[in-house]
Amino acid sequence: MEYFLGSVKLMLIVYALTAFIAMAMAWIIKLLFVVIRRRGAAELAAKATPKPAGAAPGKVS
Amino acid sequence: MPEIDILYIFQGIATMVASDPTIVVARIVLILLGIAFVYLGAKGTLEPLIMIPMGVGMSSVNAAVLYLSPTVMGTIFLDPMASEPAKLLDVLQINFLQPIYTFTFSNGLIACLVFMGIGVITDIGYMLISPLRSMFIALCAELGTLLTFPIAVAMGLTYKEAASIAMVGGADGPMVLYTSLMLSRDLFVPITIVAYLYLSLTYAGYPYLIRLLIPKHLRGVAMDPKQIPSFTKEEKMTFAVIMCTLLCLLLPVAAPLFMSFFLGIVIRESGVTPFVDFISGPVLYGSTFFLGLMLGVLCEAGTILNPKVILLLVLGMTALLISGIGGIIGGYIVYWTSGRKYNPVIGIAGVSCVPTTAKVAQKEARDANKFAVILPWAMGANICGVITSAIIAAVYVTLLR
Repeated sequence: MEYFLGSVKLMLIVYALTAFIAMAMAWIIKLLFVVIRRRGAAELAAKATPKPAGAAPGKVS
Repeated sequence: MPEIDILYIFQGIATMVASDPTIVVARIVLILLGIAFVYLGAKGTLEPLIMIPMGVGMSSVNAAVLYLSPTVMGTIFLDPMASEPAKLLDVLQINFLQPIYTFTFSNGLIACLVFMGIGVITDIGYMLISPLRSMFIALCAELGTLLTFPIAVAMGLTYKEAASIAMVGGADGPMVLYTSLMLSRDLFVPITIVAYLYLSLTYAGYPYLIRLLIPKHLRGVAMDPKQIPSFTKEEKMTFAVIMCTLLCLLLPVAAPLFMSFFLGIVIRESGVTPFVDFISGPVLYGSTFFLGLMLGVLCEAGTILNPKVILLLVLGMTALLISGIGGIIGGYIVYWTSGRKYNPVIGIAGVSCVPTTAKVAQKEARDANKFAVILPWAMGANICGVITSAIIAAVYVTLLR
């Protein structure tokens, strides 16, 4: 009986550990994805913004 | 002219005549079973890639028993129990399949090669569509892997044996092979045979489970393909490398499996065509072929007559059944929490028999509604299933080894 109860306890520990690691992985993926997408969007926005006229290189004669 | 003993010439028959009646019956049954596997594999009822070489191996090995010495019977295929260096060196020179067994099967290399191949044919982008939901479904679909463990202990198996047979619930052949090699070497042959036998049956059995537990109008829930974002190759490679590193860091005992799987994914996304072609072709099919052949050759009457085999057959079936039910429960939970926009059939794909269960889910959804496309989400749950199975295997091995 004690051996069986031990297996039930072990099963719960294994499940808890697995659930924790798996969900942590899923959250990491989700957060990483958000960060990558935001950075990409920010880079695109920076490229699309026209530079101020004064900053343009002047013509050297 | 020397005196000729006909039975000495036909030793397959002579050994049958001289054997215990139980062994004789087992040998005949296994020969017929092997032929049946070839037939059912060729017909498509069972997975042909595994079942055809396995069936031929099984019928041949049980027919080809001969006298190795005047009193000892055996075969010249392989000896799975040879581990002592001197004996191993002997059998490596005699048994024609021993080198493949010793250098690829018994150290888990073949499982890693299959995993690498699975990685190359897997698009990790599917998993990135909805990682939290996919992972939740995969966790529910591990119910069989967990509940079978105490059930097996209650039926008299040790913790190590129970964990090995419980892994059948993860429906991942290489994982079962790896876990049983690590935890219960004495039983790894019957456990792996049971696992692969049942895995080839999931394709035939799970559709009935889906139809039993999910009504037709829910099976046909259509999902919006606009929800699927596109991912660049660089993004997919980044995810794969980070996940691989993290999982190896957390659970080094399953690092060979993690590395093989994610290496396959990275190779696929890197676009190095010669590597992709090599791993998805010769490596994957070569290792699957030899895996099937090895399993068949290991099905000797003496091995199968182990009294624990019946128990393993029952427990393997229990594990897969509970996992299937768990996956469908997970599918239902996501269906309810997503405002009824998620097809619950995807739950079955959490059982990580890549890509079989995802294909089963898609087929069932399409049978209910010809416009229902759920394969991308099902593949996501499928990939998460591989990852959760590997995590469970690693936790079991770490705690019990």
